[in-house]
Amino acid sequence: MAAIRIEARAVAHRFAPGRGLQPVTFVHDGAGCVAVLGTNGAGKSTLLRMIAGLLRPTSGVLEIRVDGADVPMPARRRVVGYASPELAFYDEFTVGENLAFVADARGMDGPAAAVRDALDRVGLLERIDDRVAALSSGMKQRLRLAFALLHRPPLLLLDEPGSHLDDVGRAVTEAIVAEHRRTGLVLLATNEPRERELADSRIELRGGLGHPA
Amino acid sequence: MPTRESSFAAAWAILRKECRSEWRTRYGLNSALLFAVTTLTAVSFAVGRMGDRTDVLAALLWVVILFAALASLAHTFVREVEGHTLTLLRLTAAATPIAVGKLLFNLLFLGVLELVTVPLFLILMGAPPPHWGLFLGVLALGSAALATAATLVGAVIAQTRGRGALFAGVSLPLLLPLLAAAVSATRAQWSGNPVTFELRLLAAYTLALLAASLLLYDHLWED
Repeated sequence: MAAIRIEARAVAHRFAPGRGLQPVTFVHDGAGCVAVLGTNGAGKSTLLRMIAGLLRPTSGVLEIRVDGADVPMPARRRVVGYASPELAFYDEFTVGENLAFVADARGMDGPAAAVRDALDRVGLLERIDDRVAALSSGMKQRLRLAFALLHRPPLLLLDEPGSHLDDVGRAVTEAIVAEHRRTGLVLLATNEPRERELADSRIELRGGLGHPA
Repeated sequence: MPTRESSFAAAWAILRKECRSEWRTRYGLNSALLFAVTTLTAVSFAVGRMGDRTDVLAALLWVVILFAALASLAHTFVREVEGHTLTLLRLTAAATPIAVGKLLFNLLFLGVLELVTVPLFLILMGAPPPHWGLFLGVLALGSAALATAATLVGAVIAQTRGRGALFAGVSLPLLLPLLAAAVSATRAQWSGNPVTFELRLLAAYTLALLAASLLLYDHLWED
């Protein structure tokens, strides 16, 4: 079990005046599940993108430590599993080929087994040979979850994980969160009451529609 | 999950991914070959064989290679942005191995394109027999310079809004020196003149571009 700590000190990202993530400060130490809450446009996805190392804060300090060692922005992809609606896959490849490419590029040991295991966990193993273009929206969402789980990262960032999912898919997501929170940290950006209940703490973001900064 | 992340493994995986994607979609190769074959056929019908005009032949060869390949070469990054797969790629590997993998693919792409285009050019245009060693050396170095420049430009413009206009503006100063050297060297090998200077120039240009690219790539996607 990796000891994980996230500390944000007045972290903000400004896309345009009045647009983006307003300064947010929080510390989370250890395993668990944290809900990132806020109205549309409050910056939930932006915060998750910054934690994943995809976006640099325009101000403030964001630190991630795993087993006491600071994880700089370029190395975050190694400790983070990221699933978000913006994540797209190569339509011309099969489900298995997409994940196998990722596993190969990351230099993972036993990539084929890792791909099958990740797909099995999200209930997509039987579609391993289907082209991504042939998947429904819900199946693509499960593939995003499989991508996030592939390298068994200590930190899971799930942006609206229940979007497009049916009840079975939501149950799969909840099982993944329940399992991961015991050994690692899950950050869950959501507006869904059912997903909020999975969390044991919350980060409330200011700003966004109907909630002036 | 144990990983042995290395830049080599990532670049190799990117190269294989690009090859498989091109094989499945024929996104660039078909249009590049179509351009090359129709251009050469049209010119050979209109002008006939030009065996004695090695100056025109040299320019025509590189113009055909350049325009057949350029759109596809620069598009390797744009495709990731337009297909919304750049996030996946960024979460998979560092920017430099990604760019190196795409550069290797562009080199391979140019090689395949030239494998078809150059023999067709020599036959249809009635070009004199080249000095094969020098000719292939010029082609190899010219292609390396072209692929390196196009990959760099493609990487830089991929996430910009006006990438069409930017592509022309950024490409022009990078491509002119290499085209001038490649055309001059191609003509010189047909004329029996020394090509050492042009070959050195192309090699130095490629290395300088490659060094600049490797320094730049890590800062490509810093929002």
